[in-house]
Amino acid sequence: MPDFVFATAQYDSGDWDSAPMVPANIIDSVARYTGIDVAPTGVIVPLGSRDIFKYPLVYLTGHLPVRFTDAERTTLSEYCARGGMLFIDDHNHDVDGQFHRTAWEEVARAIGPLQDLPNDHALYRAFFKFPEGPPTTSHELNGWGDNLVHKHLQAVFEGDRIAVLYSSKDYSSEWNFHPDNKRFLSVDSTKFGVNLVIYALTR
Amino acid sequence: MSDSFERIRRARRALGLAATARGVIVALAVALGVLLSVFAVEAIVALPLPLRRAVLPFAIVMGATMFFWEVGRRIAPTWRASDEAMALWFERRIPSLRYALVTSIDADVVAPSPAGARALADSALEAEVSRAACALLVRPLATLLIALVALFLVLWGAPTGALTRLTEPRPGDTFARIGTGARAAGDPLATIVVRVVSPAYTGRTVEVIDDPSVVSALAGSRIVIEGRGVGVTAQLESIALVPTEQDGRWRIVLTVPARVAGLRLHGPARDRVLVVESIADSMPVVRLDEPTRDSVLRTARGTLVLRADVRDDYGLANGGFEYIVSAGAGEAFTFRSGRIAARSYGPGVREARIEGTLLLDTLNLGPGDLIHLRAIARDRNDVTGPREGVSETRTIRIARADEYDSVSVDPMPPSEPEKNALSQRMILLMTIDVRDRAPRLGLPALQRESRRLAVEQSRLRKRVGEVIFTRLGENPGEHAHFDGDGHAQGAEKPLDPDQVLAAAERAVHVDATRTLESEGDESPVVAINRPLLEAYNHMWRASTELETARPTAAIPWMERAIEALQRARAAERIYLRGRPPRVVVDVAKVRGTGREQGTPSMREARVSLDADRVGRLRRFDVALAIVTAAPAAAADSLLLLRLSLPVRDRAAAEALVIAADAVRRGGDVTAVLRRARRALADAPTRQALLPWGG
Repeated sequence: MPDFVFATAQYDSGDWDSAPMVPANIIDSVARYTGIDVAPTGVIVPLGSRDIFKYPLVYLTGHLPVRFTDAERTTLSEYCARGGMLFIDDHNHDVDGQFHRTAWEEVARAIGPLQDLPNDHALYRAFFKFPEGPPTTSHELNGWGDNLVHKHLQAVFEGDRIAVLYSSKDYSSEWNFHPDNKRFLSVDSTKFGVNLVIYALTR
Repeated sequence: MSDSFERIRRARRALGLAATARGVIVALAVALGVLLSVFAVEAIVALPLPLRRAVLPFAIVMGATMFFWEVGRRIAPTWRASDEAMALWFERRIPSLRYALVTSIDADVVAPSPAGARALADSALEAEVSRAACALLVRPLATLLIALVALFLVLWGAPTGALTRLTEPRPGDTFARIGTGARAAGDPLATIVVRVVSPAYTGRTVEVIDDPSVVSALAGSRIVIEGRGVGVTAQLESIALVPTEQDGRWRIVLTVPARVAGLRLHGPARDRVLVVESIADSMPVVRLDEPTRDSVLRTARGTLVLRADVRDDYGLANGGFEYIVSAGAGEAFTFRSGRIAARSYGPGVREARIEGTLLLDTLNLGPGDLIHLRAIARDRNDVTGPREGVSETRTIRIARADEYDSVSVDPMPPSEPEKNALSQRMILLMTIDVRDRAPRLGLPALQRESRRLAVEQSRLRKRVGEVIFTRLGENPGEHAHFDGDGHAQGAEKPLDPDQVLAAAERAVHVDATRTLESEGDESPVVAINRPLLEAYNHMWRASTELETARPTAAIPWMERAIEALQRARAAERIYLRGRPPRVVVDVAKVRGTGREQGTPSMREARVSLDADRVGRLRRFDVALAIVTAAPAAAADSLLLLRLSLPVRDRAAAEALVIAADAVRRGGDVTAVLRRARRALADAPTRQALLPWGG
């Protein structure tokens, strides 16, 4: 098994598969920028299964209200306690914030309350440097959150380690393109994804 | 000779009966002895319920074991013994027989001597059997009698139900324990019993808990706390509770609060803390099985099969399917809704399957109409609910005639125009908000906020411009080349964003105040992008108005931009969700081709403990210091510490409760205190789930 396998969480409610190109894009970036032995394809891992413990970073997204099952909640809680990192990104394109509100409540219930992640956190310099904090996306005007441009990501900590990282910035839309098209970008927007992977693998 | 055999058989039977009776008596005596012993221990130490439940079965097993042991020891040799051996047994006990019995059953002896026959006839064989039987029974009977007397004496002085605590133990019988009354006279908080009455809709029986430190109950449950004695007061957080007193007992009734709280009981001798935890009822979980995916139907005919699974933790009240039909276009939509296959469930139904059919012919659907379907279920919660669970929504769309050849089932995310429409709607909402607040803002603030919105509007307009430009020929797509991409470079150069915008400006150099008219010689690409061009122009007007702090004037332009974006959206293909394409990244090919370089940062030393944790450990140490001198106070301190924990720190909460219970019970508490301290100091680890909303 390679050092890193990108895992997308499949949960019982909602549209967990709304950003199908994100895994390939992050895998591409990890290979492009680092020497990490990365699997060429991502895997889909049911959030309630024990398979989740094979993957240090699990990506979860969707547009619709999130409602974890008991098994998902239990597994997720244990996953975070045992060192896993869950990256949740609000893929919402409406203004009522159903995903945002329900995902926050579910995270609070299963793991703990989300709090603003300081923009000078180690995550933002784990590989690439993001001195201003989380990179802005062209989609985040749509979502529900603190302002038009979300100043912070949110996190739940286990000690000083990020266990759950929550984003309202809609990276799922920003990164949801075929990696072959990355060559047309003047600035690669997926670099922050590399930071996520590095952070999850080293903390 | 036959008479002798008959005598031996009778003797064997009589001795067997006596041995059996001895076995029964010994078994009873042993069982009573076990009960008496445990009774004596109970007078000193309160035995936990599981142990008390094991007492009676243990006594019965011990008695049965003794019975079989006695019977096996006494009867088996008797039945196994030969007639000759039995005869010799009698000869040894009755010497006057002079071996007449032995010889009378000996086949080699034709007949006993006359003297022997006489001795045999006159012998006290039966008397000897009686004596042997009595010897077997006397001592066990005496033992049993002593046990019975002892039991009577103990029960005479014990409170009512004391024996039942061992023979029929049940939660809540703490008050029947020997010595409870005396203890309660000095300390009415020494022993408490809590009854948890769950809301009726749960169908749960009353739960009785003896002497708890923590009571976990469903939100809305009623808790009855009882104790023996008088003079107790209570306080739940800041609310004073007045106990009722009757028949030498005090009683407090309260409803479980929404959040974890500490109930402080104040008695004449001491105080006591009881933690009350709320468990929230969970909403029903609904999974829509069919239709499995969103879909587009060419015609609105036929039926749709609907299936869903619903379940709830305490019971379902009703379930069914809901649909919404949305018809129209742009900003003018009409909606109709209805329910299908609605059904109610009786008490106790926790899982159900809902099935139904949607008759499309009856919905009067037209081209472009959308049906939104979802399953819905409600639970029986009539205290804090009912709670409603819904499935994900499936969308069924009726295709328009002009898109029959372009209906796509490619799994893709929403198209760009759709995203822009939503962004524009967001800016519109914020502009309306600024307009409404304008009278209170004052001019400088209005200008500041309006210009901030203008920046956002310009940014969105730029984004739309990029989309338009991409579609108008200068496609920076698969055929564009950039430095370093490995392709042969021609005259093409990458365009910066300003150039992109300029190209878009040129492409839409028209009067923004009017709707673009169709022109005969325009290309199909321009025709498709025409609504986007309109939106682009309207956005420009909107941003201009915002720049001059006139949000009211900007709003109509924004509304027109949204309307144009909706038309652009309608001209788009329909993209559905589905199984994502499997993209295999050629890792070896792209390895190290990144144009930028990152540097893994040094790991920072972990912070050993945060300030909150240090504070809690300090409080723990204070409680630890008084464990020996004042165990009850130490237990209360541990419970109060548990109340101060973050909700998520379940491991520490449970460890503290276990430690508090152990300290209250007494004995060696080193291990549980060590575990509690470790749980407080370590990173939180969870072993159980939090209740919903907890």
